[in-house]
Amino acid sequence: MFRIALKSILGRKARLVLTSLAVILGTAFLSGTSIFSATLDRTFNNLFQDVFANIDGYVRSTEVVEGDFGLIERQRIPADTVEKVLAVPGVADAVPDIQAFARIVGKDGKPIGSEGAGPPTFGSVAVEFKGALWTIAQGKFPSGPNEVALDESSAEKAGYTVGDKVKVIAQAGSREFKMVGIASYGDVRSPGGATFALFDVPTAAEFLGKPGYVDAILVVGDGTRTDAALANDIDKIFKSSDKVETLTGAEITKETQDDIGEALSFFSIFLTIFSVIALGVGSFVIYNVFSISAAQRQRENALLRALGASRSQITRAMLIESVVVGLFGSIAGFIGGIGISKLLGVVLPALGIDLPSGGLVVTQSAVITTIFVGLVVTVLSAILPARRAGKVPPLAAMRATALETNNKGTKQLLIGLGFIALGISIVGAVVGGADNNYLGLGIVGVFIGTIVIGPNVARPVALFLGRPAAALRGVTGTMARQNAARNPKRTSRTSSPVLIGVALVTAVSALAASINGQISDIFTEQFKGDYAISVSAQGFGGLSPSLADDISKIDGVKNATGIGTALAKIDNKGRTLTVISPDTIEGNYDIGLINASYDSLDKKGIFISRSLAERDNLTVGSVITVVLGDAISRPLTVRALYEHDDLAGNRVISREAFAGTTVSSFDFGVYVNLEDGADDTAVRAALQKAVDDYGQGKLLSRDEYIDEQAGQINQLLGLIYGLLFLSVIIAIVGIIITLLLSVFERQRELGLLRAVGMTRSQVRTTVRWESVITSLLGAVTGIILGIGLGWVIVFALRDQGLSSFQIPIGTTIFIMVMSFLVGIIAAIYPAWRATKVDILSALNTN
Amino acid sequence: MTSPTLTVAASTHGATKIYGKDDSVVYALNDVTVDFYAGQFTAIMGPSGSGKSTLMHCIAGLDELTQGSAIIDGADLSKMSDKHLTELRREKIGFIFQSFNLVPTLTADENIRLPLLLGNKKGNEEWIQRVIDTVHLQDRLTHRPSELSGGQQQRVAVARALASEPRIILADEPTGNLDSTTGGEILSFMRMAVDQLDQTIVMVTHDPVAAAYADRIVFLADGKVVSEMLEPTAEKVLDRMKSLGN
Repeated sequence: MFRIALKSILGRKARLVLTSLAVILGTAFLSGTSIFSATLDRTFNNLFQDVFANIDGYVRSTEVVEGDFGLIERQRIPADTVEKVLAVPGVADAVPDIQAFARIVGKDGKPIGSEGAGPPTFGSVAVEFKGALWTIAQGKFPSGPNEVALDESSAEKAGYTVGDKVKVIAQAGSREFKMVGIASYGDVRSPGGATFALFDVPTAAEFLGKPGYVDAILVVGDGTRTDAALANDIDKIFKSSDKVETLTGAEITKETQDDIGEALSFFSIFLTIFSVIALGVGSFVIYNVFSISAAQRQRENALLRALGASRSQITRAMLIESVVVGLFGSIAGFIGGIGISKLLGVVLPALGIDLPSGGLVVTQSAVITTIFVGLVVTVLSAILPARRAGKVPPLAAMRATALETNNKGTKQLLIGLGFIALGISIVGAVVGGADNNYLGLGIVGVFIGTIVIGPNVARPVALFLGRPAAALRGVTGTMARQNAARNPKRTSRTSSPVLIGVALVTAVSALAASINGQISDIFTEQFKGDYAISVSAQGFGGLSPSLADDISKIDGVKNATGIGTALAKIDNKGRTLTVISPDTIEGNYDIGLINASYDSLDKKGIFISRSLAERDNLTVGSVITVVLGDAISRPLTVRALYEHDDLAGNRVISREAFAGTTVSSFDFGVYVNLEDGADDTAVRAALQKAVDDYGQGKLLSRDEYIDEQAGQINQLLGLIYGLLFLSVIIAIVGIIITLLLSVFERQRELGLLRAVGMTRSQVRTTVRWESVITSLLGAVTGIILGIGLGWVIVFALRDQGLSSFQIPIGTTIFIMVMSFLVGIIAAIYPAWRATKVDILSALNTN
Repeated sequence: MTSPTLTVAASTHGATKIYGKDDSVVYALNDVTVDFYAGQFTAIMGPSGSGKSTLMHCIAGLDELTQGSAIIDGADLSKMSDKHLTELRREKIGFIFQSFNLVPTLTADENIRLPLLLGNKKGNEEWIQRVIDTVHLQDRLTHRPSELSGGQQQRVAVARALASEPRIILADEPTGNLDSTTGGEILSFMRMAVDQLDQTIVMVTHDPVAAAYADRIVFLADGKVVSEMLEPTAEKVLDRMKSLGN
């Protein structure tokens, strides 16, 4: 039987290639993403290995304040710590390190580096030092308050050469420096695509951070003792109240690598989810191909049965075939994956996600995982079709036509409806008040149910969807419609990838649309200003607080107020506070203060939301101890409660709280209120000039700002389009395979049609419309399912403030158009093959 | 029947079809010149490999001649593009094959009108109804092929061949898959189509009984026309075949 199986595979190479194509697709994504992640990991590890190569010790504060989203702010240490460290025996040299937000303004007046998403923009220190992180590639190290050096790729991007004047924006405002050097980090031009403006120590401390303070100290030993002993010796000079620790070179290297690894792991989890979806959806295609090929070989198998082969022998033969296909496909998929990882390395930078380049890392485990997973998925997908193949009655050998068994599938229908009913009742229970955690279960139930009843609904739905084709295209359309409906199992399985992809995309965009509407409502209510200067800094850097003051002075501006955030520790938990300027906020931003005025918020005061007050039993006059980034405890008195916690969060403090501290403070927005009767055009021009001079931020009118804020959720669109792209590719391949097999199966019919006068273009039309109907079948069911899913998710998030569900009309239309195109594209090759059917040999096959 | 009023519906002149190359050359047709007259039922007979099917395929524009020409309604097929040939088949030729004559996804009525539908033509409704009446299919029109018996399917095929009022109907062993009673029925319908509806039929067959329904028989052997017979009967045909076989 084994030999028969092998012969059967080799005898039909075209089918082998088609079946493998489905496997290749799934495994290529899997191996592509794993190779890409490994490569990225290795590249960053090597980078930090190089950079910290000469560092033996690393001194820093032990005090860390964590914010809400895993943001970390480590406290600074006094600059004079450097002298103390230098005095420790065994220390050859020590220099301070400072790393903080700074943006380089390019020659064209625009800041380089992307705002928000993408690699960070840093200001840091570059000094001549054995363990220096930065080396000078051209020019010299910066020294004095007027000199800067740039990393190589930033200098190139911004178009600067040594000797140019360069504007840099940092916490202290925007300033012009003379560029004296171009620096490189280890042997790369810029680490991870981040931009760096480099200064000497005093300038960096004053311009980037706080004068008299540094972030950490880099230490080089004299070689008389081990790094561990050196770190130990340095630690001895500090009292525990200094809250300072010393790490060895190896430790800081490892920690930095781990941090990056963690940041990247999010990325690889994301990629892995994609490849799992690809593989899962691909398994439908594999299952479909095996089912069709089992059906097409019905007579052959029946003959074998009649000649004495047992059921299990037939089944085994098919499973052997699946092993061969799985191996062949996985190996080819792995090779394809190398291509995909290269493609990712090109596509991601194009999308603004800059990555360091490095040779591909192909680990043994990636090879094994890919082939193992590909093989298992293929064989599992083949089990049902193989069993069905074994069940063929020997009598089928005598039958003239071998079509897929088209039993009524009542059992299937009942099972499917059971799943759907179960899923819906779980969702219903959650809507009725049960735990949100059960929601996933309900959704999975509905999905499985829908796919199980697919074959039962495919025929009527395909016939319905095919109506326009039949009406528009006459008999070719009628045949396309009937062809799509004639094998409901096949059609439904073929459209499953479209269904799953479309459902996911629709659900995510329904969620995005709902969030968008919600944000828009909130901003319309709470943002009162006429203009806003916005920067999407996402917790790192932002606008200098001095910008709001400058804007206030413009003629026609009534007041301008800066809004920022700060990280703080309260009851040992990291919190994000909103920072406002009480004297200018009126008329710009409304947090819904309850019976109080903004003036009541002083340096020692805090406003809290009504919901927080209720939860923690706090009231006006309660005292909350807040630890800011400088690790100093401040008892703040609750001055008032407020209503709107959706933007401001639960705690609001005054800008004054930062006066005289070492904590950096930025604004993420400046809101501007105009005088009554001010000349809008003139004021806007003046505002624009102020923003341009500053070099960062975007000036937006009230409406523009609200749209922009609401539109931020559209970053989810990246995810949506990724999913869409993936499902489109799999769907196209799936449809191509099915159509090719159908064309092959219908050769005689095609020959007959050609003989009685069907033109080649009519043949193409028939195949094309069948393909379009199949694709639309998946799209329509997917959209219905996706909208339901989206509604359920929005409902589940009602506690997070999502109240109104919105149907993503634009995306839905886009998806329908896309699936139409998918149908047309997928049909190109099969339709061409169909026109190549030789009429005479088709008519003579018996 | 060779009265001077006969007009030629289709003909071949020096038709030659060669398969293979160099020393393994096979002449499927070797310089065949033959006329098929309008309003006649002609049968082409001959042993397997005599070239009878090839001759028919070449007249139908389904196969290309190596040399010579095939002419339908005055038009030389060898000079036509695939598109023209397709249109010609659709408009001027009706086909009846041995089996698998119908499109399984279309109803009997749609199958009958298929060539017209493909050409986006309405056709002559009165004529189509007459054809349907002649083959007794009135109550089967909405059925799909899988719901029809073998004989009914062949009747649909006959109706389809007639529906577009073609210049010539080509039938390739139309009763080969049927039992003798049903086959006889189909042949009677074809005879009726010639006698009552004034159609032209050319039929390939190896069955003397079937051939006996024709007005004229053309015998082929080894790619050549070897004999002709007018007003045949089954016995006469059998005798002639025996003599040719020797």
